[in-house]
Amino acid sequence: MFNPLEHQGMAVDDQLRSWRELNVEPYDKLSIHPYSRSRIILMNGIEVESILFSHQFARHTDNPEVRQKLALSRRIEAQQQKAINWLSPGDETPLETTIGYEQVAIDLTAWLARNEPDPYIKQTFEFGLLEDFDHLYRYANLYELIDGQRAETLTQDLTEIMPGRPTAVEHRNPLDDLRRHYDRHTVDPLSRLHVLTLVAGEQQTMNYYMNHGPDFMEPVARGLYLEIAEIEEQHVTQYESLMDPLESWFEQLVHHEYNECYLYHSFMDEETDDRLRRLWELHLDMELGQLRVACEMLREHNGIEPEEILPPQLPQPTKFQENKEYIRGVLASQIDLRADGLDFVPVDDLGAKHRSLEYMQRVNEGGVPTEEVIDRARNDGGEYRRELLGEHPVESLRASASAA
Amino acid sequence: MAIITPTRTTGARSVPVNMTEVPPDVTMPLEALQAMAPDAGLNAAFLSDMLSSFLAHEQCGVHLYRTVAGSTANPMLEAKYRAFLADTERHVEILMRLISQLGGDPQYVSPTARLVHAMNTHLLQGVVLANGSADELPREMAMLEAVMLAETKDHADWSFLASLRDGLPEGPTREAVTKAVEEVEPEEDEHLGWAQKTWQRMNTMQVTSSTMMKVTDFAEKAFATVKSAVTP
Repeated sequence: MFNPLEHQGMAVDDQLRSWRELNVEPYDKLSIHPYSRSRIILMNGIEVESILFSHQFARHTDNPEVRQKLALSRRIEAQQQKAINWLSPGDETPLETTIGYEQVAIDLTAWLARNEPDPYIKQTFEFGLLEDFDHLYRYANLYELIDGQRAETLTQDLTEIMPGRPTAVEHRNPLDDLRRHYDRHTVDPLSRLHVLTLVAGEQQTMNYYMNHGPDFMEPVARGLYLEIAEIEEQHVTQYESLMDPLESWFEQLVHHEYNECYLYHSFMDEETDDRLRRLWELHLDMELGQLRVACEMLREHNGIEPEEILPPQLPQPTKFQENKEYIRGVLASQIDLRADGLDFVPVDDLGAKHRSLEYMQRVNEGGVPTEEVIDRARNDGGEYRRELLGEHPVESLRASASAA
Repeated sequence: MAIITPTRTTGARSVPVNMTEVPPDVTMPLEALQAMAPDAGLNAAFLSDMLSSFLAHEQCGVHLYRTVAGSTANPMLEAKYRAFLADTERHVEILMRLISQLGGDPQYVSPTARLVHAMNTHLLQGVVLANGSADELPREMAMLEAVMLAETKDHADWSFLASLRDGLPEGPTREAVTKAVEEVEPEEDEHLGWAQKTWQRMNTMQVTSSTMMKVTDFAEKAFATVKSAVTP
């Protein structure tokens, strides 16, 4: 049982680090455990979100004391982000990093969905899960096609690689990416943490693809990143719309800091790499100090005691672990779901003139990069899959069906 | 014990409306909302919703008084804010008791209550977040205005309950409402009256004071002058 409010943490004034401390030794891309890489990728995204949120908050106030406290904590968050992201080695290519991002998206979303108490939020997670699952398959084929490498060297078979809901049909009218949001008064604290985590993760993925897509010379790669980057924007739209917009800036700040404490605490416990565990421990200590500052501001400027809005202890930890059977179950039961407004319906329930079908036809006319990469792979020795628990649970997505 | 900030942990319940999602296990059944004050012959679902919003306003009043009491630089204003804070905490308890007596759930946060929470949050945030746009005296005035606006709504809520009570048939509902109104309404009169009078006095002092008209030492003298205009 761990209650962050009962710990002082490191004072924010003591948290500044030197370049030497921040310019950390990168990990070895061939020997790092895939889920250690996953934790690095996720916590980088979490810190990026904390920085961007703090900037947005600062742009909405001229209260000098609030601005100063935000600026101080934000600079530390920026250093934390560097200390984490600089663990990525220079010999890990953007495409290899991308495969790591998709493994995060799959096994994080699956874990969150499995443990999500709110049925609607769980359904939303599962809907997004099948889309990210498909992205890994497309990128893995690109990896073999242009680098001659097999993605299982990175994923180490902890995650299966095969089609999900085909990316070509994931394109939706923006109105069908919006969801209902939880209510600040009735939301389970774990649901709020889940949503905050997934928003940060998907936002980082969106930013990564939208910036690294043009790094490639190969048109098939550029097209693939372009198309999937658009889906990641859809996912950010979807997940952020689950958040209650009526929480004040100060409440949101506290929840951000609390979520960082929660994740560092979760990962400190499960991390297998000693060096990383020490980093998570250090960052937890720092976040506890930042949370304290955020709570002081909540108390002072909103008249709310932090204990009134936070649970008495951290909820069950978030973990990276295999989710193969769970994902197969979701594939088998939900592959044909589509979004219709705020809800999910069987594809057959969409009328032929549904706005999302028209949107999809519009963006897909003239070719679909996520299909082209598979066609190219098939013409270049065969598509790449890692179906480790047997044939694909969806008959129409089996390799034999695709070849036919 | 008064619940100032209803959450999942305290046992809050609500209903999903339009864009809000409420898990089934904490969704307030419509039948429960329709069961309030059965002897009164009122639109029970509306009454449930409305009393929840009145309670939300009192709860937000606690947040407001905590904030302004901690922020004001004027000891007399602080003393008054702290006294009203204690009153408002008691009003929360009384409203929770009333809702329970009428057969409702004081942990129910109605859609209207959400809007009341939102309006109050923005009122308070307006005072806090734009704090760098003004010197000390205008900041004090802004806090006082926030109190005056909040008390205006609060006063309207309790005045409405008093007038509703007058039309109720004899019975448990009328008795419960009467008791609550008698306990709270005089204090609401006092809160609003004080806020309006103090706001007027502070403004009058600033607009007529000869000290205020001088540019030199404006801020310090002005603040000292207005401080003396506030009576506990």
